[in-house]
Amino acid sequence: MFKKVLTTIMVTAMCISLAACGSGKKDDANSGSNDSAKTESSDTADKDNAADAKEKKEEASEDESGEEAKESGSTDGDIAAVKEKGKLVVGITDFEPMDYKDKDGNWIGFDADMAKDFAKSLGVEAEFTEIDWDNKAMELDSGNIDCVWNGMTLTDEVTSAMDCSNAYCNNAQIVVVPADKADDYQSLDSVKDLNFAVEAGSAGEMVATENGLTTTPVGNQANALMEVAGGTADAAIIDSLMAAAMVGEGTSYEDLTYTVKLNDERYGVGFRKGSDLKEELNKFFKASYEDGSMTKCAETYGVQAAIIEQ
Amino acid sequence: METFMEQLPIVVDSLNVGFLQTLKLFFVTLIGALPLGLIISFGTRSKIAPIRIILKLFIWVIRGTPLMIQLLIIYYFPGLVWKNPIWGGGEIGRFTAASVAFIINYACYFSEIFRGGIISIPVGQDEAGLVLGMTGRQIFFKVKLLQMIKRILPPISNEILTLVKDTSLARIIALQEIIWAGQAFMKGSQGISGAIWPLFFTAVYYLVCNGLLTLLLGGIEKKLEYFR
Repeated sequence: MFKKVLTTIMVTAMCISLAACGSGKKDDANSGSNDSAKTESSDTADKDNAADAKEKKEEASEDESGEEAKESGSTDGDIAAVKEKGKLVVGITDFEPMDYKDKDGNWIGFDADMAKDFAKSLGVEAEFTEIDWDNKAMELDSGNIDCVWNGMTLTDEVTSAMDCSNAYCNNAQIVVVPADKADDYQSLDSVKDLNFAVEAGSAGEMVATENGLTTTPVGNQANALMEVAGGTADAAIIDSLMAAAMVGEGTSYEDLTYTVKLNDERYGVGFRKGSDLKEELNKFFKASYEDGSMTKCAETYGVQAAIIEQ
Repeated sequence: METFMEQLPIVVDSLNVGFLQTLKLFFVTLIGALPLGLIISFGTRSKIAPIRIILKLFIWVIRGTPLMIQLLIIYYFPGLVWKNPIWGGGEIGRFTAASVAFIINYACYFSEIFRGGIISIPVGQDEAGLVLGMTGRQIFFKVKLLQMIKRILPPISNEILTLVKDTSLARIIALQEIIWAGQAFMKGSQGISGAIWPLFFTAVYYLVCNGLLTLLLGGIEKKLEYFR
């Protein structure tokens, strides 16, 4: 009797771990190189390696057909779907000067204003939804949002997981240090030995790794600044657009300053794979650059020097 | 840069909105999970073996995986796997998905506490009830239930206090509860940026809320002291 019960339990446990692996893999395949999917699949991956490999094969064939169906579904879908809903759901985070709330709680910023204009050109309203930045590809793929429009750096991670618009804004990763030590840290060589706070999974973390710098990953760019202000990290690497707004005299972090520029990069808007909204936005960017409305909008938020000719 | 006294009302307003969301999630979970937990605890004692086994496995999965993963699965899977985002991207959708995840998770923990309460009542009371000609239902509701409630109140209180703090996990699916509201000021929100103290200030809200709950639950415990 006891043996029987034990076998039943073992068999069910195996079934469940198989099922868990299956769904984990599916999720991973759908969202490309998305961070969170990685965490999730690694959570399930070590349960049963042999079963995992077998599942993978099965999923691969299943996914091809699934992907095709999805693509044919969404290519003629996104613009029509947005119009039908009457709103364009824009995934954002609170990120000055691109998307942030004014004192009345309305979303403003260079990206927010452009998104409102783009939605208007489609004849719909823009609805802003705050998302967890780590989950951006999952938010898109699951259809909870229609685009990610939030000063998103066009990295390999982003471009492989989403269809991105043309770049519209220049950015750079720069080193932020306490102002009183700034004179010592004016070149890449001089900052080699520092301990850097970086946003986990950000472009800043990537450029630090490329340069062989020691990093401490933290939750977001503001946390990275807090680490430097609090002395728990020697320096931080953040976006230059953000640094311009938040670091230096007359800002929240008066004792910090930025010195070395580590790279150049560009911002773009992310859509679901195969979405027809991408081409629509490229057209919109071109039109609004040519009639000067993009530059005018950028001037409102002090980013006019960074925008890219369309 | 505004002074602390200028920041305070803006921050408190924003934290209040966040805490309202926290409280909403807390009460919805409690109202949903307590009865569901009781039903599950009956199921795990059912005479029908398949029901018993399925529920035991379900409890094992729910108690054995992180609530954070459960939140992600419940919110994202409908859209990712079935291509049908049933929850939607807005705040209501995120709240509903979070509520479902919390109710299921807490119902499983509650059910085990209820089960412990039910089996802690001596079998002699069942026998006495049967001798007096009571039905099983009468024995449970008229004899055992109140004694059970008295015994499980301390562990249930524990779970309730934990629940208040666990609601902060819902920020993983971008539900804007109080921790989210506090963190917003670090990056910059409503003209305040780089403010670190609002995040730590959220602890005061939790502390006050749990203080009140402790008093309330202690009061109920005292009321039940008239019998042993």
